[in-house]
Amino acid sequence: MKFLLRRLGFFVLTLWAALTLNFFIPRMMPGSPLNALRARTHNKLSPAALQQMLTAYGFKPNQNWFVQYLDYLGNMLSGHWGISIGATLGTPVSKLIGQALPWTLGLVGVATILAFALGSLIGTVSAWRRGGKVDSILPSVFVVTSALPYFWVGLLLILVLSLWTGGLLPSDFNYDNSLQPSFTLPFIGSVLRHAILPAGTILITSIGGWILTMRNNMITTLAEDYVRMGRAKGLPNRQIMYGYAARNALLPNLSGFAMSLGFVISGSILVEYVFNYPGLGYLLYNAVQNTDYPLMQALFMLFTVAVLLAVLLCDFATAWLDPRARAKG
Amino acid sequence: MRRTKALAVIVALGLALTACGSPKTKTSGSDAPDDINAPRKQGGTVTIANEQGQTWTCQFNPFNPSNNVESVGFVYEPLVFVDLLNNQAETPMLASSYQWSADKKSIVFTIRDGVKWSDGQPFSADDVAFTFNLMKQFPAIDLYALWTGAGLQSVTASGNKVTMSFAQAAQPYFFNFADQVGIVPKHIWSTGEPASHPDTWADPDPVGTGPYKVSPCSANNIQYVANTNFWQAGKPYIQKVEYPAYLDNGPANLDLANGKAQWGSQFIPGIKQFYLNKNKNNHTWSPPITNVAIFPNLDPSHAATSKLAVRQAIASAIDRKQVALIGEGGQQPAANQTGIVTPTFQKYYDASAVSAAGYDKPDVAKATQLMQSAGYSKSNPLKLTIITITGYTDWDASLAVIKQELAPIGIDLTISDLAQQTFDDRLYNGDFDLAYYGEPSNGPSPYYELREIMYSKNSAPLGKQANSNYERYLNPDADKLFDQYATADETTQVSLVKQMGALMLKDVPVIPTTESVDWFQYNTTDIGGWPTEQNPYAQPSAFSIPDVEQVLLHLYSKAAQ
Repeated sequence: MKFLLRRLGFFVLTLWAALTLNFFIPRMMPGSPLNALRARTHNKLSPAALQQMLTAYGFKPNQNWFVQYLDYLGNMLSGHWGISIGATLGTPVSKLIGQALPWTLGLVGVATILAFALGSLIGTVSAWRRGGKVDSILPSVFVVTSALPYFWVGLLLILVLSLWTGGLLPSDFNYDNSLQPSFTLPFIGSVLRHAILPAGTILITSIGGWILTMRNNMITTLAEDYVRMGRAKGLPNRQIMYGYAARNALLPNLSGFAMSLGFVISGSILVEYVFNYPGLGYLLYNAVQNTDYPLMQALFMLFTVAVLLAVLLCDFATAWLDPRARAKG
Repeated sequence: MRRTKALAVIVALGLALTACGSPKTKTSGSDAPDDINAPRKQGGTVTIANEQGQTWTCQFNPFNPSNNVESVGFVYEPLVFVDLLNNQAETPMLASSYQWSADKKSIVFTIRDGVKWSDGQPFSADDVAFTFNLMKQFPAIDLYALWTGAGLQSVTASGNKVTMSFAQAAQPYFFNFADQVGIVPKHIWSTGEPASHPDTWADPDPVGTGPYKVSPCSANNIQYVANTNFWQAGKPYIQKVEYPAYLDNGPANLDLANGKAQWGSQFIPGIKQFYLNKNKNNHTWSPPITNVAIFPNLDPSHAATSKLAVRQAIASAIDRKQVALIGEGGQQPAANQTGIVTPTFQKYYDASAVSAAGYDKPDVAKATQLMQSAGYSKSNPLKLTIITITGYTDWDASLAVIKQELAPIGIDLTISDLAQQTFDDRLYNGDFDLAYYGEPSNGPSPYYELREIMYSKNSAPLGKQANSNYERYLNPDADKLFDQYATADETTQVSLVKQMGALMLKDVPVIPTTESVDWFQYNTTDIGGWPTEQNPYAQPSAFSIPDVEQVLLHLYSKAAQ
């Protein structure tokens, strides 16, 4: 119980620190929403009118910073995230995030889970048959690909699978513009087709890590006595491999997986940028470009909370699974 | 219009797709100018490919500067349309005529009869007066500072007339209040949320007098359908306009090249191979509107750039044709030292003055001499830094050419790429030696851009944000010319602009290099009636408001005829 309370206390403290940084760091960036709006409206309009327009949307540059900070903390916690003052001037931030969130969760979330599942499977198989065909090819290939930068792999895939094939696979956006969102076959098909390349990029660049750690854990576990015992009893290979070895070898990886699920929500900014995928990462990029404080604040808060929650849940899960953590905590 | 991500992507891949094509601008041959106003049958769809960098927010408030390009011209109409490309030719829209008082301090608009809002309610002079008075009540929607800057004092309606009175002569603001302001319906904007917050109201289902209605709008696409109540009988011919959201130039350009979209409004790298050669019906015509220029810091604290000889030397040494050809791939024309954009504003341009001043062609010998008089030479070069915006790869290419051309006369140029926000801050505050920049503002004569650049009221001391006179040019003679313009008749206005051009030659406050254009690509397979070089009836890009309405009213589908 003491362990849980300590963890919770730590969670609240980190959240406060992160929220405070979220407030001050964007305001220390060069540029201001007013200048961004001036540039975007081609300087045709009077700065005074633009300033008043931004004020109408809740931008108060001249107010005391401390008052603004307290207001901000209150608003973040109560869910009043304000109205965008950037390129999407006038749109409520919660609506923008609501539009983008499903796409990021769908794309990055599914790709992360797939990478974890596939990586663990490949790691298990290659450790089981060390030096076999799978072991000599897949881990080394994927370790190399995971060292490649996201955006470079993305560009390469676009070039090879989209440009060279005459647009066989779409290289941008979340679905075909001519379709209206609905639960129909053409629409779902279009969404899936548009997701292939970005999801493939994430898969290729993140799977290597899972393979390598799983393979190493697996090799250690295979040397354990209970595995030898299983073999001695003449259990089928499949049962020893999955039921005895893989199940235990997976545990250390789970916490890493929980963390990476927390990072899903921040999207893969580079992947979304390269593929023009309108998810949270792309939204953040646009917000920073246009010095859109309310949108940036809400996004950073979401990202922080997601990671902190994932870590917290992971701590709780470890405490529940592993008595040693409780005892030492 | 962020224009260079696709280019960067392609360059990163090491593709040679961007090889410069022939600089010739292709113009349409399929529409003879005389048949452009002939009546057509209705039908057909046109698709616009204009990169916005974000998905649609489905807000259509015409006073919101972030999304008025989606509503003004499509749904909301101005009083009078002024054609910037054709000597300010006027087309009466919601006002059938107007009359200035002799001192140009008041103007009376006669409001058109028989116009209906798209919800069926009649339109009247009351709506016009209401729109302008709403701006007085809510300064945030007075985007052109009519009540505060232009001296507007009252707007009243009586019968079918609307009278606007100003504190001073207001002719230069005609473009702003008659052409740029979309008129909104009183019966909707005078109650509920639009009445209490006209600045922040989303206006998701706009009611206007224009040729189109929104039906439906989603984050990925806006579909406009013809407004059956539109006051011009039989128009618009095109029944549906599709406006998909594009986050980047690349896919937008691809859709243009393969014919999925017919109306393009952004930079296409290597346009000849990528677009024009793909289909014989693909055309481009991008008319120049404003200048891209080197802004030297004229404040005395910047010793080198405030010296006239140095600026003259730079202006003489730069081969503007090379900059346009190599830096801009021939897709933008070369500028001239007067700052008067040609051929768009040809009648204000004094070619003999330019050659008399020696700026008609590059003159390296003269430039070298000027630099020597200022105490610099090739062996003792002047070190200068020019700031520009990261990601504007065409500007980077132009600056590389300029750097090369300035080296022989004794200027060692360093190019400093800054993030947009940092660049803006330093430009507005005057924290630079040289800045590469284009004044984005435009109006129907060179007066508007030159006033931005040269009028001392648009300047500010270093460290304070200037409105648009970023180089800090302060000259009472120039101010006098701008002040006289307001009350002058048309011939005098032309001569005043020529005198402003002469000051540009004499004082070299900025050094124009290329002319930035209104990007426009169009496909004539099914759609006819596009604006062309022979018939420039409106600015052709889809983001030009309210010009977009004029283009939409001319377009027709050949299949429907």
